[in-house]
Amino acid sequence: MNENTDNIIISCRNLDKRVDTAEGPLDILSGVTLDIKAGESIAVVGVSGSGKSTLLGLLAGLDTPSAGEVRLAGETLTALDEDGRARLRARHVGFVFQSFQLLPGLTALENVMLPLELEGRAEAGVLARELLARVGLESRLGHYPRQLSGGEQQRVAIARAFATRPAVLFADEPTGNLDAATGARVIDLLFELNRERAATLVLVTHDEMLASRCARRVHLDAGRLVSRGA
Amino acid sequence: MKGARGKLRLALRLLAREARAGELRVLVAALVIAVGAVTAVALLTDRVSRGVGQQSAELLGADLVVTAEAPHPAQWRAAARERGLAIGELVEFASVVVMGERLQLASVRAVDATYPLRGAVKTAPAPYAPDAITRGVPAPGSVWVDTRMLQELRAAIGDRVEIGNASFTIERVLTYEPGRGGNFFGAAPSVLMHAQDLAATGVLQPGSRATYAFAVAGGELAVAAFRAWVAPQAASSRRIMDTRSGNPSIARAIERVDRFIGLTSLLAVLLAGVAVAMGARRYSARHYDVSAMLRCLGATQRDILLLYGTQLLVIGVTASAVGCIVGWVGQEILQLLLRDLLPVRLPTPGMAPLALGFATGLLTLAGFALAPILRLRAVSPLRVLRRELTPLPASAWLVASAALGAMLLLMWRYTDSPRLILGVLGGALAAGIVLAGVGFGLLAAGRRLIARAGATWRFGLSNLWRRPRASLAQVLAFGFTFMAMALMVLVRGDLLASWQRQLPADAPNHFAFNILPADVARVEQFFADHRIEAQALYPMVRGRLTTINGTAVTQAVTKEEESNEALHRELNLTWAAQLPPDNRIVAGAWWDAAKAAGVSVEERLAKRLGIQAGDRLGFTIGGASISVPVASLRKVQWDSFHPNFYMIFTPGALDGMPATYLTSFHLTADQKPLLAQLVRAFPATSVLETDQVITQVRTILAHVTAAVEFVLLFVLAAGFAVLYAALVASLDERRQESALLRALGARRGQLIGAQLAEFVVLGLLAGVLAAAGAEIIAWALYSRVFDIEYAFKWRVWLAAPTISAALLAVAGHLGARRIAQQSPLGVLRDAQ
Repeated sequence: MNENTDNIIISCRNLDKRVDTAEGPLDILSGVTLDIKAGESIAVVGVSGSGKSTLLGLLAGLDTPSAGEVRLAGETLTALDEDGRARLRARHVGFVFQSFQLLPGLTALENVMLPLELEGRAEAGVLARELLARVGLESRLGHYPRQLSGGEQQRVAIARAFATRPAVLFADEPTGNLDAATGARVIDLLFELNRERAATLVLVTHDEMLASRCARRVHLDAGRLVSRGA
Repeated sequence: MKGARGKLRLALRLLAREARAGELRVLVAALVIAVGAVTAVALLTDRVSRGVGQQSAELLGADLVVTAEAPHPAQWRAAARERGLAIGELVEFASVVVMGERLQLASVRAVDATYPLRGAVKTAPAPYAPDAITRGVPAPGSVWVDTRMLQELRAAIGDRVEIGNASFTIERVLTYEPGRGGNFFGAAPSVLMHAQDLAATGVLQPGSRATYAFAVAGGELAVAAFRAWVAPQAASSRRIMDTRSGNPSIARAIERVDRFIGLTSLLAVLLAGVAVAMGARRYSARHYDVSAMLRCLGATQRDILLLYGTQLLVIGVTASAVGCIVGWVGQEILQLLLRDLLPVRLPTPGMAPLALGFATGLLTLAGFALAPILRLRAVSPLRVLRRELTPLPASAWLVASAALGAMLLLMWRYTDSPRLILGVLGGALAAGIVLAGVGFGLLAAGRRLIARAGATWRFGLSNLWRRPRASLAQVLAFGFTFMAMALMVLVRGDLLASWQRQLPADAPNHFAFNILPADVARVEQFFADHRIEAQALYPMVRGRLTTINGTAVTQAVTKEEESNEALHRELNLTWAAQLPPDNRIVAGAWWDAAKAAGVSVEERLAKRLGIQAGDRLGFTIGGASISVPVASLRKVQWDSFHPNFYMIFTPGALDGMPATYLTSFHLTADQKPLLAQLVRAFPATSVLETDQVITQVRTILAHVTAAVEFVLLFVLAAGFAVLYAALVASLDERRQESALLRALGARRGQLIGAQLAEFVVLGLLAGVLAAAGAEIIAWALYSRVFDIEYAFKWRVWLAAPTISAALLAVAGHLGARRIAQQSPLGVLRDAQ
């Protein structure tokens, strides 16, 4: 990555997301403007339904806004089509989800190899093994997701997220499906890896404790950004 | 993703991983079953129809016979030999056989040592003595003659007779000759002689009327190739006879078996479609998450398309290959198991059915799975955050037309009978549409009804209403499967019954003709006295059709029909006040009371000669000419072994013409000696024994019946396999929900009860669909394709819903019990 830490890696301007419902249009996000520096860790907090996950989806290019503009790694996401955004994700973005999102038909190792294989990397197996060892699952390589505990599944997901050395890691309630102790260990791991790899971390959570571990916090309330944080 | 080769490798790697994890099991199993079923049916039907073909070749005496009025060009032999065919030549002519003072016109056949190429001649040492298969042909200088010949000449075995300039010893009594099918009565008695003696008789001079038959036998392809080569040189298409055109009874039976087999193949294709559709639905639904994740990780839509396209192709090729093997092994095993029941040894199967089976796999997969799987590329990556984001299902029109297209293409390849295809596809479609309408109506009505039902029922049934699309898909899958099975059972039953009717145990097996008018009453008395079952006695006048609407017949008909035998020989004319019981009027009307003179013409002859009701036909009878209007056209059952006529006149129309009478009757084996008595009592009367031919026909019908049963068994087996696949898929869909209910505290009994209720209703609806479909298709096919009378099948309306509800109830119950035994957590985690 060329950007130094002062560079803005993600920025959005006047972001709106409106959906049509049976009761008329519903504003999920309105007028969100936010800059995130490379290497920064930022928590997006808010109660359930405040629009956190929607914002994450828009910043990561998984969805398109009703109005406004998103830039990611120097490219305007809103100007790209879905395939263009997919290529951008492949190059710069990693994800960790609340529900792990491991593919049930693939083993732990194969799940981690997948993004590397999508890039066509020959050493996918070696890299994936290293990463799984890094998250403490070297003895679980051949296990299928259903044979792993929730904490183990999330560790596999973290290994997968870092496999392609993404500039930005998006985490959506990464501990939401885990008990407190397991969640804490998973988060430790997430922050460690993030530090090691100097990635930008965008974390969505309703857990204030978790949010406090990030360098910056922004608060969403009913689709509006109410504090930009420190 | 980098490079097309890298992508292909990734696709294969992912596929291998999923296969190892068991993700592909249902789709692959469905495909293997589908391909296995169609391959087995195709292989079997190929073997059975070739086996039956062999049988009827034995009746014809060859695989193909080409006749002409002059000796065949020498290059025919060369052409046949080049193709590796066995060749036989035969000359048939009418000649007077002389013994002392007595003369008798005979139909003489001069055969070479190869006769018959197929089947066998039967002879007896004395008239009415038990006969046996006889190898070889009469030695030069001797002849074999039939009982009638002996009777007419008052001759015995060992007597000498003259034919032309040569003299012969009567060596044996001819009881059965392959190739002497067709028109029995009225034909002269038979004589069989060696071809070497032909020249010595000096009977055949340039210009003599004789039929030269060129017969070949050999491999199917070689025969077909020879046929194609020789056809343009034959005088007319009816001069080429094969296993289908020999004997009308056999031809019709074989034609119907062919169509039954066609129907079977179509239903097997339909079953295959159901199985693959179920498998593909599940496959694509289970890959929504995978696609979303891949998109999230940066795969483009093209990547997804390439990925699943490759996977689909690999699955299709592999599963189809395995299916072909399964089909081959399946039909081999069944054939071995039923070896004793099948009276005929089946020829070894050909390769074409295997290729067809393989193509069926790929095409059904493309038809049913391509559209849903193409949708996978449209999965939004946002689904990783919001699971409910299922892509819009592939347009129903797109899926339906792709599936329908694949079906049509396959069905076309399996049977080129548009009527059959239209009947099956149209019927299934109509039933599906009716049921979709009725089904939603029932669902709505049921909703109100179950409001009053118990909680368990209410819960189980509300599952059905909640997912109307999925429920409908399941009803269609089960319904079409049951429909295919029900239809097979129905058609089989009605076909067999019609064969039974065609040749009942007491079918007439003898004809008596040349009965003098003065003897009619006494002959009837003779039958009554000896308790012989006989048909009515019909008067018979020999006459020629000479004009149609005043134009000479040879000019009135098309070029192709100029050589029609009906124009060149005397026809058997009769009169009757009543329509013969197995005839049916198709145009015009039968006469109530004889008013004006008129004639009723057999439908097919009328069509060939372009005769319509109201036309005027001229006949020459003896020296006299008459002209009568055509009152009606009749459909005649030529295979009934009853006396049948091309022309039936109004009573009185043929008054004053020289008439004799004829009838047919049934003799049991122990009544056979009565034949000699009959002949002695009425010396002018001729008797024709058709019992040999009837036995032959009956044997073939028995084989054909066994074949039909055999094929039916296989389709039923395939049906059950498809049912099983569909059940596994639909139980699977309910697993997670059931586990959730368990987790929420549903008792075992409630869970099982709810699922039972759901499956019973599913089964009832599927059964109604099956009955409606079977009824519609039967209605569409019976008279048009199978030539069977259609009657409302009320039983199927009872049986199909009952059986299908019961079967699905058992399956649902077992499935629910299995889930109830597992820990809900395990199931939920599995489903995650």
